[in-house]
Amino acid sequence: MRSHDEAPALFVDAGNLFSDDRYAAGELPAEITVKNRWVLKGYGDFNHDAANLSYLDLPYLASLLKKDGYDKRVAEFPFIKKLISANIKPMDPSVQAPPPYVIVETTLKRGQPGKKYKIGIIGLTQGKPVSPTVDEYDVAGFHIDDPFIAAKRILPDLKKQVDFVLALAYMPQDKAQLLATQNSEIDAVIGARQISNTGEVQHFNRATLTYAYSQTKYLGELRVYLSNDAKIENQTNRYVALDDSVPDDPAAAEVVASAHTEFTNEQSKTAQQVQASATPMTLLSTASPYAGVDECAKCHQQEYDIWKNTGHAHAMATLEKRNQQLDQGCVKCHVVGFEQGGFQAVYSTPQFANVQCESCHGPGKAHVDNPGKGYGFMSVPVGCIQCHTQNNSPDFNFALYYPKIRHTKG
Amino acid sequence: MRRTVSLVAIALFLLSIALMLHGCSKSQTEVAAGITDTFAPDLNDPKLKERLGDDDGYSLAVLYGSDIHGSLETCG
Repeated sequence: MRSHDEAPALFVDAGNLFSDDRYAAGELPAEITVKNRWVLKGYGDFNHDAANLSYLDLPYLASLLKKDGYDKRVAEFPFIKKLISANIKPMDPSVQAPPPYVIVETTLKRGQPGKKYKIGIIGLTQGKPVSPTVDEYDVAGFHIDDPFIAAKRILPDLKKQVDFVLALAYMPQDKAQLLATQNSEIDAVIGARQISNTGEVQHFNRATLTYAYSQTKYLGELRVYLSNDAKIENQTNRYVALDDSVPDDPAAAEVVASAHTEFTNEQSKTAQQVQASATPMTLLSTASPYAGVDECAKCHQQEYDIWKNTGHAHAMATLEKRNQQLDQGCVKCHVVGFEQGGFQAVYSTPQFANVQCESCHGPGKAHVDNPGKGYGFMSVPVGCIQCHTQNNSPDFNFALYYPKIRHTKG
Repeated sequence: MRRTVSLVAIALFLLSIALMLHGCSKSQTEVAAGITDTFAPDLNDPKLKERLGDDDGYSLAVLYGSDIHGSLETCG
Protein backbone atom coordinates (compact mmCIF):
# COMPACT_ATOMS: atom_id res chain seq x y z
CA MET A 1 0.00 0.00 0.00
CA ARG A 2 1.17 3.47 -0.79
CA SER A 3 2.18 5.26 2.33
CA HIS A 4 3.95 8.29 0.96
CA ASP A 5 1.87 11.11 2.25
CA GLU A 6 4.50 13.66 1.45
CA ALA A 7 4.31 14.92 -2.12
CA PRO A 8 1.99 17.71 -3.28
CA ALA A 9 0.27 17.13 -6.60
CA LEU A 10 -0.89 19.60 -9.23
CA PHE A 11 -3.27 18.97 -12.10
CA VAL A 12 -2.94 20.83 -15.40
CA ASP A 13 -4.34 20.66 -18.93
CA ALA A 14 -1.97 21.33 -21.82
CA GLY A 15 -4.65 22.63 -24.21
CA ASN A 16 -7.71 21.97 -26.36
CA LEU A 17 -10.11 21.53 -23.48
CA PHE A 18 -13.05 23.21 -25.24
CA SER A 19 -14.83 22.07 -28.38
CA ASP A 20 -14.94 24.30 -31.44
CA ASP A 21 -17.04 21.84 -33.43
CA ARG A 22 -19.21 23.46 -36.10
CA TYR A 23 -17.93 26.92 -35.27
CA ALA A 24 -18.36 29.25 -38.21
CA ALA A 25 -17.65 32.87 -37.37
CA GLY A 26 -20.19 33.73 -34.74
CA GLU A 27 -21.48 31.74 -31.83
CA LEU A 28 -20.96 28.09 -31.16
CA PRO A 29 -23.99 25.79 -31.45
CA ALA A 30 -25.93 25.62 -28.18
CA GLU A 31 -25.06 21.98 -27.47
CA ILE A 32 -21.35 22.66 -27.97
CA THR A 33 -21.57 25.54 -25.53
CA VAL A 34 -23.21 23.19 -23.03
CA LYS A 35 -20.33 20.70 -23.37
CA ASN A 36 -17.76 23.43 -22.87
CA ARG A 37 -19.54 24.87 -19.85
CA TRP A 38 -19.44 21.49 -18.14
CA VAL A 39 -15.72 21.19 -18.77
CA LEU A 40 -15.23 24.63 -17.24
CA LYS A 41 -17.36 23.68 -14.25
CA GLY A 42 -15.71 20.27 -13.85
CA TYR A 43 -12.19 21.65 -13.92
CA GLY A 44 -13.15 24.24 -11.32
CA ASP A 45 -15.03 21.87 -9.07
CA PHE A 46 -12.17 19.42 -9.06
CA ASN A 47 -9.52 22.01 -8.28
CA HIS A 48 -7.45 21.89 -11.44
CA ASP A 49 -4.56 24.29 -11.22
CA ALA A 50 -4.35 25.62 -14.79
CA ALA A 51 -5.37 24.99 -18.38
CA ASN A 52 -3.43 26.18 -21.40
CA LEU A 53 -5.48 27.78 -24.15
CA SER A 54 -4.92 26.51 -27.66
CA TYR A 55 -6.20 27.95 -30.93
CA LEU A 56 -9.03 25.39 -30.71
CA ASP A 57 -10.29 26.92 -27.46
CA LEU A 58 -10.78 30.42 -28.78
CA PRO A 59 -14.37 30.32 -30.11
CA TYR A 60 -15.64 29.50 -26.62
CA LEU A 61 -13.11 31.72 -24.87
CA ALA A 62 -14.52 34.82 -26.52
CA SER A 63 -17.79 34.44 -24.62
CA LEU A 64 -15.98 33.91 -21.32
CA LEU A 65 -13.67 36.90 -21.48
CA LYS A 66 -16.08 39.66 -22.46
CA LYS A 67 -15.52 42.48 -19.98
CA ASP A 68 -19.27 43.00 -19.72
CA GLY A 69 -20.40 40.54 -17.06
CA TYR A 70 -16.89 39.16 -16.51
CA ASP A 71 -16.96 39.34 -12.71
CA LYS A 72 -20.30 37.57 -12.59
CA ARG A 73 -19.00 34.79 -14.83
CA VAL A 74 -15.88 34.41 -12.72
CA ALA A 75 -18.02 34.17 -9.59
CA GLU A 76 -19.93 31.31 -11.21
CA PHE A 77 -16.90 29.70 -12.84
CA PRO A 78 -13.73 30.65 -10.94
CA PHE A 79 -11.66 28.44 -13.21
CA ILE A 80 -11.89 31.17 -15.88
CA LYS A 81 -8.99 32.84 -14.08
CA LYS A 82 -6.89 29.72 -14.51
CA LEU A 83 -7.25 29.64 -18.29
CA ILE A 84 -3.83 30.89 -19.30
CA SER A 85 -2.00 32.02 -22.41
CA ALA A 86 1.06 34.17 -22.85
CA ASN A 87 0.52 34.67 -26.57
CA ILE A 88 -3.24 34.95 -27.13
CA LYS A 89 -4.51 38.52 -27.27
CA PRO A 90 -8.06 39.75 -27.91
CA MET A 91 -8.44 42.08 -30.88
CA ASP A 92 -11.65 43.50 -29.46
CA PRO A 93 -11.07 45.97 -26.59
CA SER A 94 -14.30 44.82 -24.94
CA VAL A 95 -12.71 41.42 -24.37
CA GLN A 96 -10.29 40.71 -21.54
CA ALA A 97 -6.89 39.09 -22.16
CA PRO A 98 -6.25 35.77 -20.41
CA PRO A 99 -3.47 35.80 -17.78
CA PRO A 100 -0.12 34.65 -19.23
CA TYR A 101 0.57 32.45 -16.25
CA VAL A 102 -0.58 31.38 -12.81
CA ILE A 103 1.54 30.77 -9.73
CA VAL A 104 0.67 27.87 -7.45
CA GLU A 105 2.18 27.78 -3.99
CA THR A 106 2.60 24.56 -2.09
CA THR A 107 4.48 23.36 0.96
CA LEU A 108 7.19 20.79 0.53
CA LYS A 109 7.32 17.75 2.75
CA ARG A 110 10.31 16.21 1.05
CA GLY A 111 13.51 17.76 -0.17
CA GLN A 112 13.31 20.76 2.12
CA PRO A 113 10.29 20.04 4.33
CA GLY A 114 8.23 23.09 5.27
CA LYS A 115 9.53 25.25 2.45
CA LYS A 116 6.94 27.26 0.57
CA TYR A 117 7.51 26.19 -3.01
CA LYS A 118 6.13 28.19 -5.92
CA ILE A 119 5.39 26.75 -9.31
CA GLY A 120 4.85 29.16 -12.20
CA ILE A 121 2.72 27.73 -15.01
CA ILE A 122 2.88 29.56 -18.35
CA GLY A 123 0.67 28.79 -21.36
CA LEU A 124 1.74 28.96 -25.01
CA THR A 125 0.12 27.83 -28.26
CA GLN A 126 0.98 27.71 -31.91
CA GLY A 127 -1.29 29.38 -34.49
CA LYS A 128 -4.07 27.38 -36.11
CA PRO A 129 -2.52 25.22 -38.83
CA VAL A 130 -4.25 25.76 -42.16
CA SER A 131 -1.67 23.94 -44.28
CA PRO A 132 1.62 22.12 -43.62
CA THR A 133 3.50 25.40 -43.92
CA VAL A 134 0.98 28.07 -42.93
CA ASP A 135 -0.52 28.90 -39.57
CA GLU A 136 -3.48 31.22 -39.04
CA TYR A 137 -2.88 33.76 -36.31
CA ASP A 138 -6.27 35.47 -36.08
CA VAL A 139 -8.95 33.16 -34.72
CA ALA A 140 -12.38 34.03 -33.32
CA GLY A 141 -11.47 37.62 -32.50
CA PHE A 142 -8.11 36.78 -30.95
CA HIS A 143 -4.61 37.24 -32.31
CA ILE A 144 -2.04 34.55 -31.61
CA ASP A 145 1.42 36.07 -31.17
CA ASP A 146 4.63 34.19 -31.87
CA PRO A 147 4.93 31.88 -28.85
CA PHE A 148 8.73 32.08 -28.84
CA ILE A 149 8.74 35.87 -28.65
CA ALA A 150 6.09 35.78 -25.94
CA ALA A 151 8.14 33.26 -23.95
CA LYS A 152 11.25 35.42 -24.14
CA ARG A 153 9.25 38.43 -22.98
CA ILE A 154 7.54 36.85 -20.01
CA LEU A 155 9.74 34.07 -18.66
CA PRO A 156 12.52 36.16 -17.04
CA ASP A 157 10.01 37.97 -14.84
CA LEU A 158 8.15 34.77 -14.00
CA LYS A 159 11.37 32.98 -13.08
CA LYS A 160 12.16 35.66 -10.49
CA GLN A 161 8.89 34.95 -8.71
CA VAL A 162 8.93 31.15 -8.53
CA ASP A 163 11.02 28.08 -7.77
CA PHE A 164 9.88 25.98 -10.71
CA VAL A 165 8.70 27.05 -14.17
CA LEU A 166 6.35 24.74 -16.03
CA ALA A 167 5.48 25.60 -19.64
CA LEU A 168 2.33 24.16 -21.17
CA ALA A 169 2.85 24.19 -24.93
CA TYR A 170 0.22 23.34 -27.54
CA MET A 171 2.49 22.86 -30.52
CA PRO A 172 4.36 20.17 -32.50
CA GLN A 173 7.19 18.36 -30.85
CA ASP A 174 9.99 20.10 -32.76
CA LYS A 175 8.68 23.49 -31.65
CA ALA A 176 8.27 22.37 -28.06
CA GLN A 177 11.87 21.14 -28.13
CA LEU A 178 12.95 24.53 -29.41
CA LEU A 179 11.04 26.20 -26.61
CA ALA A 180 12.83 24.07 -24.03
CA THR A 181 16.21 24.64 -25.65
CA GLN A 182 15.92 28.41 -26.09
CA ASN A 183 14.60 29.32 -22.65
CA SER A 184 16.83 28.47 -19.73
CA GLU A 185 14.17 29.67 -17.30
CA ILE A 186 11.96 26.67 -18.08
CA ASP A 187 12.25 23.60 -15.86
CA ALA A 188 9.69 21.45 -17.63
CA VAL A 189 7.62 21.59 -20.79
CA ILE A 190 4.41 19.62 -21.12
CA GLY A 191 3.41 19.58 -24.75
CA ALA A 192 0.22 18.57 -26.50
CA ARG A 193 -1.31 18.48 -29.93
CA GLN A 194 -3.64 15.52 -30.35
CA ILE A 195 -0.86 13.01 -29.94
CA SER A 196 -1.64 9.38 -29.24
CA ASN A 197 1.61 7.90 -28.10
CA THR A 198 3.54 8.00 -24.94
CA GLY A 199 7.25 8.58 -25.08
CA GLU A 200 10.08 8.88 -22.65
CA VAL A 201 10.88 12.15 -21.00
CA GLN A 202 13.38 14.15 -23.06
CA HIS A 203 16.03 16.42 -21.59
CA PHE A 204 17.08 19.73 -23.12
CA ASN A 205 19.71 21.51 -21.10
CA ARG A 206 18.09 21.55 -17.65
CA ALA A 207 14.51 21.30 -18.89
CA THR A 208 12.47 18.20 -19.56
CA LEU A 209 9.85 17.70 -22.27
CA THR A 210 6.94 15.30 -22.08
CA TYR A 211 3.74 15.07 -24.11
CA ALA A 212 0.16 14.68 -23.01
CA TYR A 213 -1.83 11.81 -24.42
CA SER A 214 -4.79 12.93 -26.53
CA GLN A 215 -8.14 12.90 -24.67
CA THR A 216 -6.15 12.06 -21.54
CA LYS A 217 -6.67 8.37 -22.24
CA TYR A 218 -3.47 8.02 -20.30
CA LEU A 219 -2.88 10.46 -17.51
CA GLY A 220 0.61 11.93 -17.48
CA GLU A 221 2.50 12.14 -14.21
CA LEU A 222 5.65 14.21 -14.11
CA ARG A 223 7.58 13.59 -10.90
CA VAL A 224 10.06 16.12 -9.60
CA TYR A 225 12.81 15.17 -7.14
CA LEU A 226 14.31 17.91 -4.99
CA SER A 227 17.47 18.01 -2.91
CA ASN A 228 17.68 19.08 0.74
CA ASP A 229 18.02 22.68 -0.38
CA ALA A 230 15.04 22.34 -2.74
CA LYS A 231 17.13 22.26 -5.93
CA ILE A 232 15.87 20.11 -8.76
CA GLU A 233 17.79 16.84 -8.82
CA ASN A 234 15.80 14.87 -11.34
CA GLN A 235 12.49 14.59 -13.17
CA THR A 236 10.79 11.44 -14.39
CA ASN A 237 7.60 10.81 -16.29
CA ARG A 238 5.03 8.04 -16.33
CA TYR A 239 1.61 7.49 -17.85
CA VAL A 240 -1.30 6.06 -15.92
CA ALA A 241 -3.66 3.95 -18.00
CA LEU A 242 -7.22 5.01 -17.29
CA ASP A 243 -8.88 1.64 -17.54
CA ASP A 244 -11.06 -0.58 -15.37
CA SER A 245 -8.32 -0.75 -12.74
CA VAL A 246 -9.06 2.83 -11.82
CA PRO A 247 -12.47 3.16 -10.17
CA ASP A 248 -14.75 6.09 -10.89
CA ASP A 249 -15.62 8.35 -8.03
CA PRO A 250 -19.42 8.28 -7.69
CA ALA A 251 -19.60 12.04 -7.24
CA ALA A 252 -17.55 12.61 -10.38
CA ALA A 253 -19.62 10.06 -12.28
CA GLU A 254 -22.70 12.02 -11.26
CA VAL A 255 -21.21 15.20 -12.70
CA VAL A 256 -20.45 13.44 -15.97
CA ALA A 257 -23.98 12.01 -16.08
CA SER A 258 -25.49 15.44 -15.48
CA ALA A 259 -23.33 16.90 -18.24
CA HIS A 260 -24.39 14.12 -20.57
CA THR A 261 -28.08 14.66 -19.82
CA GLU A 262 -27.95 18.38 -20.42
CA PHE A 263 -25.97 17.91 -23.61
CA THR A 264 -28.38 15.29 -24.93
CA ASN A 265 -31.40 17.42 -24.06
CA GLU A 266 -29.89 20.33 -25.92
CA GLN A 267 -29.24 18.16 -28.97
CA SER A 268 -32.80 16.83 -28.84
CA LYS A 269 -34.10 20.38 -28.83
CA THR A 270 -32.02 21.17 -31.90
CA ALA A 271 -33.25 18.04 -33.66
CA GLN A 272 -36.85 18.91 -32.86
CA GLN A 273 -36.39 22.43 -34.15
CA VAL A 274 -34.97 21.11 -37.40
CA GLN A 275 -37.83 18.64 -37.76
CA ALA A 276 -40.38 21.35 -37.15
CA SER A 277 -38.78 23.88 -39.45
CA ALA A 278 -40.10 24.64 -42.90
CA THR A 279 -36.90 23.48 -44.51
CA PRO A 280 -36.11 20.09 -43.06
CA MET A 281 -32.90 18.35 -43.97
CA THR A 282 -34.27 16.45 -46.92
CA LEU A 283 -31.55 16.87 -49.44
CA LEU A 284 -30.79 13.29 -48.99
CA SER A 285 -31.93 10.29 -50.70
CA THR A 286 -32.59 11.91 -54.02
CA ALA A 287 -29.41 14.00 -54.18
CA SER A 288 -27.23 11.75 -52.08
CA PRO A 289 -24.23 10.01 -53.65
CA TYR A 290 -24.97 7.11 -51.31
CA ALA A 291 -27.40 4.24 -52.00
CA GLY A 292 -27.78 2.47 -48.66
CA VAL A 293 -27.20 -1.16 -47.80
CA ASP A 294 -30.56 -2.40 -49.06
CA GLU A 295 -29.58 -1.38 -52.56
CA CYS A 296 -26.22 -3.14 -52.21
CA ALA A 297 -27.93 -6.33 -51.06
CA LYS A 298 -29.89 -6.65 -54.28
CA CYS A 299 -26.72 -7.80 -56.05
CA HIS A 300 -24.42 -8.69 -53.15
CA GLN A 301 -26.65 -10.87 -50.98
CA GLN A 302 -23.84 -13.09 -49.69
CA GLU A 303 -21.81 -10.15 -48.48
CA TYR A 304 -24.92 -8.57 -46.98
CA ASP A 305 -25.68 -11.75 -45.02
CA ILE A 306 -22.19 -11.66 -43.49
CA TRP A 307 -22.38 -7.95 -42.77
CA LYS A 308 -25.73 -8.04 -40.98
CA ASN A 309 -24.22 -10.21 -38.25
CA THR A 310 -21.25 -7.96 -37.63
CA GLY A 311 -20.79 -5.16 -35.12
CA HIS A 312 -20.76 -2.71 -38.02
CA ALA A 313 -24.44 -3.48 -38.70
CA HIS A 314 -25.31 -2.51 -35.14
CA ALA A 315 -22.98 0.43 -34.73
CA MET A 316 -25.77 2.89 -34.04
CA ALA A 317 -27.15 0.71 -31.26
CA THR A 318 -23.76 0.98 -29.55
CA LEU A 319 -24.23 4.73 -29.33
CA GLU A 320 -27.89 4.47 -28.35
CA LYS A 321 -27.00 2.26 -25.41
CA ARG A 322 -24.93 5.12 -24.11
CA ASN A 323 -27.33 7.81 -25.23
CA GLN A 324 -24.74 9.24 -27.61
CA GLN A 325 -26.73 8.88 -30.81
CA LEU A 326 -26.99 12.65 -31.12
CA ASP A 327 -23.35 13.40 -30.39
CA GLN A 328 -22.02 14.30 -33.81
CA GLY A 329 -18.46 13.75 -32.74
CA CYS A 330 -19.35 10.09 -32.20
CA VAL A 331 -22.00 9.62 -34.89
CA LYS A 332 -19.66 10.21 -37.81
CA CYS A 333 -18.00 6.82 -37.31
CA HIS A 334 -21.24 4.91 -36.79
CA VAL A 335 -23.06 5.78 -40.02
CA VAL A 336 -22.68 6.23 -43.79
CA GLY A 337 -21.42 9.50 -45.24
CA PHE A 338 -22.00 11.83 -42.31
CA GLU A 339 -21.87 15.46 -43.49
CA GLN A 340 -21.09 14.17 -46.99
CA GLY A 341 -24.60 13.75 -48.30
CA GLY A 342 -25.32 10.59 -46.35
CA PHE A 343 -26.55 10.29 -42.77
CA GLN A 344 -27.94 13.39 -41.15
CA ALA A 345 -30.29 12.16 -38.44
CA VAL A 346 -32.13 8.97 -37.58
CA TYR A 347 -35.54 10.52 -38.25
CA SER A 348 -34.59 11.84 -41.70
CA THR A 349 -32.03 9.34 -43.02
CA PRO A 350 -32.50 6.03 -41.25
CA GLN A 351 -31.30 4.21 -44.35
CA PHE A 352 -27.79 5.50 -43.70
CA ALA A 353 -27.54 4.55 -40.01
CA ASN A 354 -24.87 2.02 -38.97
CA VAL A 355 -21.55 1.26 -40.61
CA GLN A 356 -22.61 -0.06 -44.00
CA CYS A 357 -20.92 -1.08 -47.24
CA GLU A 358 -20.43 2.51 -48.35
CA SER A 359 -18.87 3.57 -45.04
CA CYS A 360 -15.76 1.69 -46.16
CA HIS A 361 -16.15 1.33 -49.94
CA GLY A 362 -17.30 4.89 -50.61
CA PRO A 363 -20.41 6.41 -52.18
CA GLY A 364 -22.14 3.77 -54.32
CA LYS A 365 -25.14 5.48 -55.91
CA ALA A 366 -23.36 5.87 -59.24
CA HIS A 367 -22.38 2.20 -59.11
CA VAL A 368 -26.00 1.20 -58.43
CA ASP A 369 -27.19 3.32 -61.33
CA ASN A 370 -24.52 1.92 -63.62
CA PRO A 371 -23.20 -1.40 -62.25
CA GLY A 372 -19.78 -2.51 -63.32
CA LYS A 373 -16.27 -3.11 -62.17
CA GLY A 374 -14.16 -0.32 -60.77
CA TYR A 375 -16.15 0.39 -57.63
CA GLY A 376 -15.54 -0.97 -54.19
CA PHE A 377 -11.79 -1.16 -53.80
CA MET A 378 -10.74 -0.53 -50.26
CA SER A 379 -7.28 -0.30 -48.82
CA VAL A 380 -6.94 -2.14 -45.53
CA PRO A 381 -6.00 -1.45 -42.83
CA VAL A 382 -5.63 2.17 -43.91
CA GLY A 383 -9.37 2.49 -44.41
CA CYS A 384 -10.14 0.92 -41.04
CA ILE A 385 -8.01 3.28 -39.04
CA GLN A 386 -9.91 6.30 -40.25
CA CYS A 387 -12.34 5.44 -37.46
CA HIS A 388 -10.52 2.79 -35.46
CA THR A 389 -8.08 5.36 -34.18
CA GLN A 390 -6.06 4.99 -31.04
CA ASN A 391 -8.42 7.41 -29.35
CA ASN A 392 -11.73 5.93 -30.44
CA SER A 393 -10.75 2.29 -30.59
CA PRO A 394 -7.75 1.76 -28.35
CA ASP A 395 -8.04 -2.02 -28.43
CA PHE A 396 -8.23 -2.24 -32.22
CA ASN A 397 -6.05 -4.98 -33.62
CA PHE A 398 -6.38 -5.43 -37.37
CA ALA A 399 -5.37 -9.10 -37.32
CA LEU A 400 -8.09 -9.87 -34.78
CA TYR A 401 -10.78 -7.50 -35.96
CA TYR A 402 -10.63 -7.94 -39.72
CA PRO A 403 -11.75 -11.59 -39.76
CA LYS A 404 -14.89 -10.49 -37.94
CA ILE A 405 -16.04 -8.40 -40.90
CA ARG A 406 -14.22 -10.08 -43.78
CA HIS A 407 -16.61 -10.79 -46.64
CA THR A 408 -14.46 -11.17 -49.75
CA LYS A 409 -13.55 -14.47 -51.31
CA GLY A 410 -10.11 -15.96 -50.84
CA MET B 1 -14.03 -2.35 -25.92
CA ARG B 2 -12.61 -0.31 -23.16
CA ARG B 3 -15.29 1.29 -21.03
CA THR B 4 -15.94 4.93 -20.83
CA VAL B 5 -13.31 6.73 -18.92
CA SER B 6 -14.13 10.04 -17.43
CA LEU B 7 -11.40 12.58 -17.20
CA VAL B 8 -13.21 14.24 -14.38
CA ALA B 9 -13.54 10.95 -12.58
CA ILE B 10 -9.87 10.22 -12.80
CA ALA B 11 -8.97 13.77 -11.98
CA LEU B 12 -11.08 13.69 -8.89
CA PHE B 13 -9.84 10.26 -8.01
CA LEU B 14 -6.23 11.27 -8.17
CA LEU B 15 -6.88 14.55 -6.52
CA SER B 16 -8.69 12.76 -3.75
CA ILE B 17 -5.72 10.51 -3.35
CA ALA B 18 -3.50 13.54 -3.30
CA LEU B 19 -5.62 15.25 -0.72
CA MET B 20 -6.02 12.23 1.49
CA LEU B 21 -2.59 10.72 1.28
CA HIS B 22 -0.17 13.24 -0.05
CA GLY B 23 -1.11 16.12 2.18
CA CYS B 24 -1.41 18.58 -0.65
CA SER B 25 -0.79 21.97 0.83
CA LYS B 26 -3.54 23.89 -0.88
CA SER B 27 -5.63 25.84 1.57
CA GLN B 28 -8.61 24.24 3.23
CA THR B 29 -10.81 26.83 1.58
CA GLU B 30 -9.76 25.52 -1.81
CA VAL B 31 -10.26 21.95 -0.78
CA ALA B 32 -13.71 22.69 0.57
CA ALA B 33 -14.64 24.22 -2.75
CA GLY B 34 -14.16 20.86 -4.38
CA ILE B 35 -17.12 18.53 -4.70
CA THR B 36 -16.02 15.78 -2.33
CA ASP B 37 -13.03 14.13 -0.79
CA THR B 38 -14.89 11.18 0.68
CA PHE B 39 -14.09 8.78 -2.13
CA ALA B 40 -12.11 5.90 -0.68
CA PRO B 41 -11.11 3.25 -3.20
CA ASP B 42 -9.45 0.04 -2.11
CA LEU B 43 -5.80 0.98 -2.19
CA ASN B 44 -4.82 -2.63 -1.62
CA ASP B 45 -6.19 -3.63 -4.98
CA PRO B 46 -3.10 -4.83 -6.89
CA LYS B 47 -4.19 -3.27 -10.18
CA LEU B 48 -4.87 0.05 -8.55
CA LYS B 49 -1.54 -0.07 -6.74
CA GLU B 50 0.17 -0.65 -10.06
CA ARG B 51 -1.59 2.35 -11.56
CA LEU B 52 -0.65 4.57 -8.63
CA GLY B 53 2.98 3.56 -8.94
CA ASP B 54 5.68 3.07 -6.38
CA ASP B 55 6.76 5.71 -3.95
CA ASP B 56 10.25 6.45 -5.16
CA GLY B 57 10.84 9.51 -3.02
CA TYR B 58 9.60 12.20 -5.39
CA SER B 59 8.90 15.65 -3.97
CA LEU B 60 6.25 16.99 -6.34
CA ALA B 61 3.92 15.53 -8.94
CA VAL B 62 2.32 17.25 -11.90
CA LEU B 63 -0.62 15.30 -13.28
CA TYR B 64 -1.52 16.32 -16.79
CA GLY B 65 -3.70 15.69 -19.81
CA SER B 66 -4.94 17.45 -22.95
CA ASP B 67 -7.26 17.42 -25.94
CA ILE B 68 -10.50 16.50 -24.24
CA HIS B 69 -12.11 18.92 -26.73
CA GLY B 70 -15.28 19.48 -24.74
CA SER B 71 -15.93 15.85 -23.87
CA LEU B 72 -15.96 14.48 -20.35
CA GLU B 73 -16.43 11.02 -21.83
CA THR B 74 -15.40 9.15 -24.94
CA CYS B 75 -17.53 7.68 -27.75
CA GLY B 76 -19.20 4.24 -27.44
